[in-house]
Amino acid sequence: MTISWFQAAIFGLFACLCSNSCMAGQAVGNYTIGRPLVGGLVCGLVMGDLKLGIACGVAMQLVYIALVTPGGTVSADVRAISYIGIPLAMVAVVSQGLNPLSGSAANLAKSIGTLVGTVGTVLFYAVAMMNLIWQSFGWKDVKEGKLNRLTAVNFGWPWLSHVVFSFLPTMILTHYGATAVTALRTALPMDGIAMKTLFTVGGMLPCVGIAILLRQIVNNMADFIPFFVGFTLCASLHLNLVSVTVISLLFAVIMYEIKMAQGSNGGSSNGPKAAAEASGSGGSDDDEEEDI
Amino acid sequence: MADVKVTPKLDNKTLTKSFHRWFWGALTCFSQEHMQTFGYMASMLPILRKLYPNHDDQVKAIQAYTAFFNTNPMLGTVIVGVTASMEEARADGKAIDGETINDMRAGLMGPIAGIGDSLIDGTLIPILLGIALGMSTGGSPIGAVFYIVAWVAIAYFGQRFLYFRGYKFGDQAVSFLVGKQGAAVRTAIGVVGSMVVGGVLASWVNVTTSLQLRGADGKVFLNLQQKLDSIFPGILTVAITMLCWWLMSKRHISAIWTMLILVVLSFVGVLLGVFNPGLKY
Repeated sequence: MTISWFQAAIFGLFACLCSNSCMAGQAVGNYTIGRPLVGGLVCGLVMGDLKLGIACGVAMQLVYIALVTPGGTVSADVRAISYIGIPLAMVAVVSQGLNPLSGSAANLAKSIGTLVGTVGTVLFYAVAMMNLIWQSFGWKDVKEGKLNRLTAVNFGWPWLSHVVFSFLPTMILTHYGATAVTALRTALPMDGIAMKTLFTVGGMLPCVGIAILLRQIVNNMADFIPFFVGFTLCASLHLNLVSVTVISLLFAVIMYEIKMAQGSNGGSSNGPKAAAEASGSGGSDDDEEEDI
Repeated sequence: MADVKVTPKLDNKTLTKSFHRWFWGALTCFSQEHMQTFGYMASMLPILRKLYPNHDDQVKAIQAYTAFFNTNPMLGTVIVGVTASMEEARADGKAIDGETINDMRAGLMGPIAGIGDSLIDGTLIPILLGIALGMSTGGSPIGAVFYIVAWVAIAYFGQRFLYFRGYKFGDQAVSFLVGKQGAAVRTAIGVVGSMVVGGVLASWVNVTTSLQLRGADGKVFLNLQQKLDSIFPGILTVAITMLCWWLMSKRHISAIWTMLILVVLSFVGVLLGVFNPGLKY
């Protein structure tokens, strides 16, 4: 499997649209086009193997399920994960002769995706640096009162930053990277220690993504309880995620009622009734008094 | 604001244009130095043009928006809406100056960023992705399509709603997000988030050991994975996740170093025969 210049250019374009300082708006660019799940769909279509693309996208999405960027600092940038990592992972899976839907293909994809993830961080800071040039144009325009030019500063010039630091690197890395990945097959035997480690790490990497999320959610130890309940429902009872979401909604309603009752009524409200009430209305103060 | 009669100068078209500029351009000219400042200026431009016919007044008004700005772009929409209404009141001759507007922006960007990051990145996105991943089994594109449609609809209409709420109620609109009811809603949504994240981990991640101990007769007398499964299915997966969480939140090790620690752990495990993916060409 190789990646032509044309295919590589499409990946480059998508990389421009979806980086952290994206050209397609944050909601559509970073949060939609940039997510590996969507990237898998795009790469699958471009490479002509939808099933493999989706499988690689799903695998990588797990590692990067949490991409919180507090205060504009990034640990990984989606453009490299989705539009360099997924194409290269697809090539790797094909050249290793793995079944696209197998767990080992997924683990290989995760390892490759994470390897290039750091490239994205470099590209992100490079684009942000180059944007300083356009911003300096902007400050001059504001000073001279040429407000008409501000639109170009915000929507036009940053494309140049992306051509240099998103389009070109993505195009070159995917085109030449595919050859390198294929050549790797002979260098590293599958049952050697290097490949075994690579696949084992691939299996563990999503734990880091989940742990980043947990860091966001957990403030005290009690916050782990719903997490373990959700885990047990899936691991032991084999429920699917929609069912878990429905069950969690029940607990959410109860939590909401408890929190709202805590301040106003001092805890004299009867829990179950109030919870049932809340599903219908917002649970105003008048309703609660009638209950008792 | 309700008791004061304000002649509305901003029409729906101008507000929508301003909102779209934020939606598509909040981060396009991002830099580490000024972050979302230029996105903010670009989205306020239609408002200022409408309110101040005189070019010099426009230039004077834009000065309020040259100050540093950075927040969660999703929920931050509400702040842009609030400034639009404040700018309108200022143009109407109310006692609001650029400094008041800036104080409001500076005071709100922190809390909104915190709430937005945990609510959107930490809860809503993982739930949507978790469901979408379930639909994508077997390489099906349905999951990705579901995610695109569901998220873009929520993001566009949600942000639009927030923008116009912010415009309509001024800075009172924010009190819902940071007030008591907002806190209760966040706690409730947090429960959904944690449970779904637990479910995602159990459904999609499976760390297993290949350690088997054989007796002198060559028969396996200990299959560690089976033993562990009989205690609590997936216990090894949870253990690795907790290790990562502990490293990052208690030892303050970055995500990249945590990943490298996993590489070392895997390498040693492979050498000792604890881990073996069991692959051959």
